[in-house]
Amino acid sequence: MAFSGFDQNVVPSEMNQVIPLAKKDSPARIKMWLTIGFIAALIVASFIHLSVNPLDILTAPPTMLTFMADNFFPPNTEIVANSLPVIIETFFFAVIATYVSAVISFTLGILMSERLNRHAVVRRGVRYFVAFLRNIPVIIWGSLLVFIFGIGNIVGLIALTIATMGFLSRSYAESMNDIAGERLEAMYASGASYMQILVHGLIPEFMPAWLNWTLFSFEINIRASAILGMVGAGGMGMLINSQMNLRNFRSASMLIMILVGMILITEFTVGFLRRKMT
Amino acid sequence: MAEANTLLKISNLKKQYSKKEVLKGIDIEIKEGEFVVVIGPSGAGKSTFIRCINRMVDPTHGAIEFGGTDVAKLKGKALREARSNIGMIFQHYNLIGRTNVIKNVLHGRLGHNSFFKTLTGSYSDAEKREALTLLQKVGLGDHIYKKANALSGGQMQRVGICRAMMQDPKLLLADEPIASLDPKSAKVIMDQIHGLVTERNIACIMNLHQVQVAKDYATRIIGIKDGRVVYDGAPADLTEAMIADIYEGKAEEMELKTDNVAVGELAYGV
Ligand SMILES: Nc1ncnc2c1ncn2[C@@H]1O[C@H](COP(=O)(O)OP(=O)(O)O)[C@@H](O)[C@H]1O
Ligand SMILES: [Mg+2]
Repeated sequence: MAFSGFDQNVVPSEMNQVIPLAKKDSPARIKMWLTIGFIAALIVASFIHLSVNPLDILTAPPTMLTFMADNFFPPNTEIVANSLPVIIETFFFAVIATYVSAVISFTLGILMSERLNRHAVVRRGVRYFVAFLRNIPVIIWGSLLVFIFGIGNIVGLIALTIATMGFLSRSYAESMNDIAGERLEAMYASGASYMQILVHGLIPEFMPAWLNWTLFSFEINIRASAILGMVGAGGMGMLINSQMNLRNFRSASMLIMILVGMILITEFTVGFLRRKMT
Repeated sequence: MAEANTLLKISNLKKQYSKKEVLKGIDIEIKEGEFVVVIGPSGAGKSTFIRCINRMVDPTHGAIEFGGTDVAKLKGKALREARSNIGMIFQHYNLIGRTNVIKNVLHGRLGHNSFFKTLTGSYSDAEKREALTLLQKVGLGDHIYKKANALSGGQMQRVGICRAMMQDPKLLLADEPIASLDPKSAKVIMDQIHGLVTERNIACIMNLHQVQVAKDYATRIIGIKDGRVVYDGAPADLTEAMIADIYEGKAEEMELKTDNVAVGELAYGV
């Protein structure tokens, strides 16, 4: 009998007793119910404040689908030829913004790393500056810069570069700081200068992380460069927006499909490259 | 052998981390060609001591006279120059993993060359020949173009030895160089370090926690306990009672020590 040893120790009267897995009315239980109540109250309050009938949300998808079926199909293929320069433009936005910020962020990353920059004041200054860049969404940078430079490509480029710098500098700094511990210690101990250590130690070790983060931000930038156009910062978004405003929905739907295709191709290519590297 | 000259004179060396005093006044004189092994329980301050010598750790107090200057007072370029004459070997080898073996060895020359000369990786023919000779000597002649992170631990440490030797140092520091290696590789590494420093008359200061290995190689053993030197003398004079005293109150360390005697037996067929 397989369980004989186990059964022998159980008193019969205890065998039918239900064993609770948590104590009733324990503080953890009360906390859980309070949390659930709080979240439910928050959801109800949100609907009331926004004066939205929850049922409208349920009926929204059919309305959307009917509208799109009526107005967006079939897509207007004639627009492809005309908009080709803008499509390429969107791609180059992402390329240049990623390139420029990869170089600037390399320097900012070094300045933000505790182990590579011993000047606490400079380090903190750069950290705050980068946090400031990062925490303003790219679309806000775009609409802000449109006021300064007027509608056009340069706005999209600058906005995208600033946002990418914010993201990449912090990611680079973390990777660099990991490398700069023991791995570079031997170089310091042998009397190598700071610049020698950067060139012969940091850069070779940082290379995979550098490529990885940069490719990742390129993917984000393809998406972002499309959105930026909505505020007049050039690129495909601007074209989609103007076609919608002109109620040329079939042209807009063609452009949206091209955009989605572009994003998918980028995602696939970047994913492939990143897998190959590791 | 003629009376050797003093190479390194450490006086009243102290190190304090925020509240805790880790080194409590160490006085040691090291002569040319000596092979000094430092033993002691973990946390005794061995690593801190060895790292003060090349200023990887800044001492709080005391003098470190080496090559006619007080290393404890050096800064910037002068400190880098002093460091370029002191080799160092690490427990975790600290190689540049994505760079090939011979370049890692040549990194030992960075401190002797200007930034612009090394920027293009153009080391002199003599330096390259020396790197190759050293690598062949430690049995890595066939692996010079392999990436360092493709090597085994023992091979990595051999690259570390060659890199330190490339500096043409007068003093070699080694902080637990065999602690991450299996007994067989450990013996190879100890033999190679011992062979090279003896042949080149380089003084060596090495931290070890294997007392038996220390006795086998050292010309002098220094025992550190709680930031103070509690033994300084010939390996032969280090009795079991003294060892027990050095590791006193560290039950698990004593166990570690017996383990390592066993490791020693395995490795050396004692
Ligand atoms: N950077 C540091 N900051 C604070 N305490 C440290 C630091 N490095 C070492 N210590 C402390 O100093 C003591 C001696 O450490 P260490 O020199 O590494 O000893 P050992 O090498 O003999 O094991 C330990 O108690 C350790 O915790
Ligand atoms: Mg140690």
